[in-house]
Amino acid sequence: MLKYFTIFSLSLQNEFTYRLNFILWRSRNILRFLMTFFLWQGVFYSNRSVFGYSQQDMLTYVFLVLVINTFVLSAPSAENIGGEIARGDLSNYLVKPVNYLKYWFTRDLSSKVLNLAFAVFEISVLALMLRPDIKLPEDLVNLLAFFLASVLAMVIYFLISITAASFAFWRPEDIWGARFFIAILIETFAGGIFPLDILPGFLKIVLQLTPFPYLIYFPIAIILGKITGITLIRILFQSLVWTLLMFFLAKLLWKKGLKSYSAEGK
Amino acid sequence: MEEPIIKVGDLKKYYKVHQKEPGLIGSVKSLFSRKYYDVKAVDGVSFEIGEGELVGFIGPNGAGKTTTLKVLSGLLYPTSGKVQVLDFTPWERKTAFQKQFSLVMGQKNQLWWDLPAMESFILNKEIYEVPDDQYKKTLDELVELLEVEDILKIQVRKLSLGQRMKMELIAALIHSPKILFLDEPTIGLDVVMQKKMRDFIREYNKRFNATIILTSHYMDDVKELCERVIIIDHGKILFDGKLEAIIKKFADHKLLTVILEREVDAEKFREIGKLESYEFPRAVISVKRSKVSEAAAKLLKDFPVDDLNIEEAQIEDIIREVFTAENVKS
Repeated sequence: MLKYFTIFSLSLQNEFTYRLNFILWRSRNILRFLMTFFLWQGVFYSNRSVFGYSQQDMLTYVFLVLVINTFVLSAPSAENIGGEIARGDLSNYLVKPVNYLKYWFTRDLSSKVLNLAFAVFEISVLALMLRPDIKLPEDLVNLLAFFLASVLAMVIYFLISITAASFAFWRPEDIWGARFFIAILIETFAGGIFPLDILPGFLKIVLQLTPFPYLIYFPIAIILGKITGITLIRILFQSLVWTLLMFFLAKLLWKKGLKSYSAEGK
Repeated sequence: MEEPIIKVGDLKKYYKVHQKEPGLIGSVKSLFSRKYYDVKAVDGVSFEIGEGELVGFIGPNGAGKTTTLKVLSGLLYPTSGKVQVLDFTPWERKTAFQKQFSLVMGQKNQLWWDLPAMESFILNKEIYEVPDDQYKKTLDELVELLEVEDILKIQVRKLSLGQRMKMELIAALIHSPKILFLDEPTIGLDVVMQKKMRDFIREYNKRFNATIILTSHYMDDVKELCERVIIIDHGKILFDGKLEAIIKKFADHKLLTVILEREVDAEKFREIGKLESYEFPRAVISVKRSKVSEAAAKLLKDFPVDDLNIEEAQIEDIIREVFTAENVKS
């Protein structure tokens, strides 16, 4: 569809006009990376193995977070949809022959491409500077499974964002609270700061009942070869189930929300 | 009259609005339970509009003008009533329908803030699937009409309000809509720019036989553009017809302006009619229609009159009176 291609291109141009913003966003990612990198390096200074992770495994994990963040969590939709509903800017799109959610997903894609391109560059520089001992994935099956899990993660995150943004239909004044709450949950429980399998058993089980680990932790665990065989199939299947569940939840809330929006009309 | 392209029958739109008691305690209370009450934004409105008509909606803030436009453009579900625009039911939001109209809200913008307006035009071209040659032709025509050639490549955020409004219009018209809903298109613009906007709207209506509904606070917009006006207040139509007919319907008096040769005691005018203003040498007296000639004769005979003028009351004043009368009633 040509219209979505144009949206993609405009969105890219838009990101370029926010050059400083973009650079700061990338810096934030790099700073966080450096923080976790040195933290783990410190921990491994006196230990050979921590929580069953070797230094090599852990540093590889930290590097991979930097990469996967770019295409899973880089999504302007997360910050914008709720606000557009609350301000009533959604009306601009509703009167046009364009699908608002596809519109935002397309904009997300352009942001992901841009961020990934920069991350590849940053990682090359960081790898040259830090010369870490990292293990590159070699198993082809796991590599393919990683791609599949990442795509599902991307979609799950988008659906979570829409679900959260839907609150703006009923409580426009509370949308920032909802957004912030979700952001904290993702920050902590998606696996971007530490690998989730270092958590105590019951917490791990509880987390498995949420969609968050499927965003970052599981894709990385897959590419690291920590998940194989029948478990790999189970995790991919659960990831798919979460995608579907979130899809129906987001769809339901969005539909109800639109109805209420159209009833109240801001 | 040919078949109307907009048909509205007994349209009602009620909102539920929550009420907060004043103060902190009220805020805490509203956390747990909220009281709702109905606002009758539109309360039984009916009208028909034919192709090529340019109709003005007037009414005070909250009268129901914008709500009506939003129902017509499919943003709102009505509480009850029948609405057909180009044989479509607006809130079904069919693509075929959306390609044929445009909604411009003076207080909202659809342009991408950080990019030149040109980029938003291209986006709308794709969204509305306008063929290349038609797009080029329409754009050239609009750019020429609005004289914006030199600012097409400037970031929208750097444009003045007037320039931006022009760009908003182009963006809204790139798909050559048959119907145009303009909500306060001149709001915040200076007098010169207001006039340019008006000229453009009139020209657009003529050149493309576009059907236009316009809401405005500025009487001038309506007076200059619209042959037909619909006056709305409290969600109800008070008047629907030709602008001049408002005068006949609502103004039961005319204004007599006299220029005096010598100063006269203001009290003496009372026997003629209601003294509206008196600043020597000019006095304005309002007189019942039926008594106008009698009053004029008396003025000429008994007063030191240098000049006498008989005028219809100003439309603004009449409408203001209509609204105040209506407010007193309710």
